[in-house]
Amino acid sequence: MITPTIIGRAMLIAFGAFLISVPWLIPALLNRFWVSVIAEIMIWSLFAASVNLLFGYVGLLSFGQALYFGFGMYGVAIGVATLGLSFWPAFGMGIIAAVAIALISGIFAVRLTWHYFAIITVVFSLIFYFLAVSVKPLTGGDDGINFALPPTFSFGGVVGSFSSENFQYFFILATVSLCFFLMHCVIRSPLGKAFVAIRDNDVRAALIGLNVYRLRLIAFVMAGFLAGVSGALFAFFGRYASASYMFYHVSGEAVVWAIVGGAGTLFGPIVGTSLFIVIRELVSTHWEHHSLIVGVMAILVVILAPKGLVGLWNDRLARWGERGKDASIRTSLRTDP
Amino acid sequence: MGSFLVMLDTLLLLALNGLIWGLIIALIALGLSIIFGLLDIINIAHGDFFMVGTVLAWFTLELTGNFWVAFLVVPLIGFIFGALIQRVVIQPIRNVAALSIVATFGLSLILQEGVRITFGTTPRRILPPIHGTFLLFGIDYEIYRLFAALIAILALAGFFMFLHRTKLGTWMRAVRHDRETAIAMGVPAQRVYVLTFGIGFALAALGGVVAAPITTVEFRSGVDILPFCFMAVIIGGLGNLPGTAAAAVLLAFLEGVIQSFADPTIARISSLVLMSAVLLARPQGLFKGLTK
Repeated sequence: MITPTIIGRAMLIAFGAFLISVPWLIPALLNRFWVSVIAEIMIWSLFAASVNLLFGYVGLLSFGQALYFGFGMYGVAIGVATLGLSFWPAFGMGIIAAVAIALISGIFAVRLTWHYFAIITVVFSLIFYFLAVSVKPLTGGDDGINFALPPTFSFGGVVGSFSSENFQYFFILATVSLCFFLMHCVIRSPLGKAFVAIRDNDVRAALIGLNVYRLRLIAFVMAGFLAGVSGALFAFFGRYASASYMFYHVSGEAVVWAIVGGAGTLFGPIVGTSLFIVIRELVSTHWEHHSLIVGVMAILVVILAPKGLVGLWNDRLARWGERGKDASIRTSLRTDP
Repeated sequence: MGSFLVMLDTLLLLALNGLIWGLIIALIALGLSIIFGLLDIINIAHGDFFMVGTVLAWFTLELTGNFWVAFLVVPLIGFIFGALIQRVVIQPIRNVAALSIVATFGLSLILQEGVRITFGTTPRRILPPIHGTFLLFGIDYEIYRLFAALIAILALAGFFMFLHRTKLGTWMRAVRHDRETAIAMGVPAQRVYVLTFGIGFALAALGGVVAAPITTVEFRSGVDILPFCFMAVIIGGLGNLPGTAAAAVLLAFLEGVIQSFADPTIARISSLVLMSAVLLARPQGLFKGLTK
């Protein structure tokens, strides 16, 4: 008997197998360029996941996640280029910077909800965007910072470095998978249930004894962590950091990716991000106005599939499962004399 | 002493410029505020409505050779655009407010790309329809800027007259105040939504026409102006229309004053910090109780 759960597991395994085989499969089928596109998709999916953790599971729509992405990115770039750190300390510095600023701004931001929350997160990210643009000696402003990559590790003769494209790919795959796995664990834990309770009804959640403010803050810091990791990875991936990645358009794109893919589902952000980046890469070489397609698609998905693509798929699957059950009940009834 | 006088002159000039910009921003922010108050929509595309206004003003000047036509035609086109957008994009997602952010973000991309395709990427300037300058604080000041302020004031007054003196305006206030009761009393809420979105777009487009000879016309100008409009709406208080207009003028005036001794970015950062403080301490806005 094929149930929706089995279909889900099979798809997950197939997806994992595909991701592991990408560095050999894709160059054989297409070309090497698409390997780095897929690596980029993974990084941005993690960024969209940070929006999803807040909006999809706690009900807070953040329009300023680019701030934490930017701190992760600048933590790495300043660590390597200015302080001369090696790979891991720079990576750590990026993540710590992102988590710290998420904690500080979260203390204020999660006092507000819904519209006000969306607006104050944009305002915070704009403040730091303008600061990053004006403090040129530290951040390079809009021109940004270019840096040379330190090797990730070296044991005796074995050196792992992002200069090897396969190493870069698998490092990103491993880090992003780990983050998604952690998010999966959190969502299934009592903490995750508390998040969903707050999303569905914060008054009731408070009445059953949940500390709504503290739980929202925890979620906010976790989302800052995810965005920070993705920003740090992106800095290593592009060997580059720039204030332009802290502008609110970057946050907005992540919101679109997460909601179009399906907010409140683990894989929604991956689907949404893949869709938009693949379209961008396919179209932008032929037609420079690919944003037009992105805009039209965002509107169409929101109108036709308000739960996002993964939400739509889950509904279809659930209905199909229901029908299977009905059929078996009906047959069992019919065999009864 | 002399340098002090020069500084005072610059201060007064920048303050006056700020005041005039504030009046234009007030027009745009009013549109944002009525859309927010009535339809519960955070309109990310609102800055682009303004940008479309500037571009349409440029096209009108190109086609007819007469800038004055733009003052009539562009808000009208804006109204039609707005009404269409409400029907096609906003109406289907009315019940899920969170989706409106995604939809209007998509709309913003479409408008920007649409303008890039038709108008191009090069920023252009429009000569003010009233030439001439007069001596003000030791500088030749453009007469058009004063005229722009006058138009903005007239439009603001006209809008408030419309809101308080006409049947449609009363309907709009009724739906904002209590949707259910208004519908029960026979107000056609559906048509009021279309009307509101149309007027919101028209106000932003009019702001674009007024501002076009003062600023540069380009597809990106909406992105810069959007945060400013949100600031006015928040600091003035969500849904508090006179408060919004007052906040816009106050903010632009303050930024003008700060710019006379500091970097424009510093001015922008200080108003953003002010806005955060208002949001956290008085989410109902600074002018609560001033007017309703």
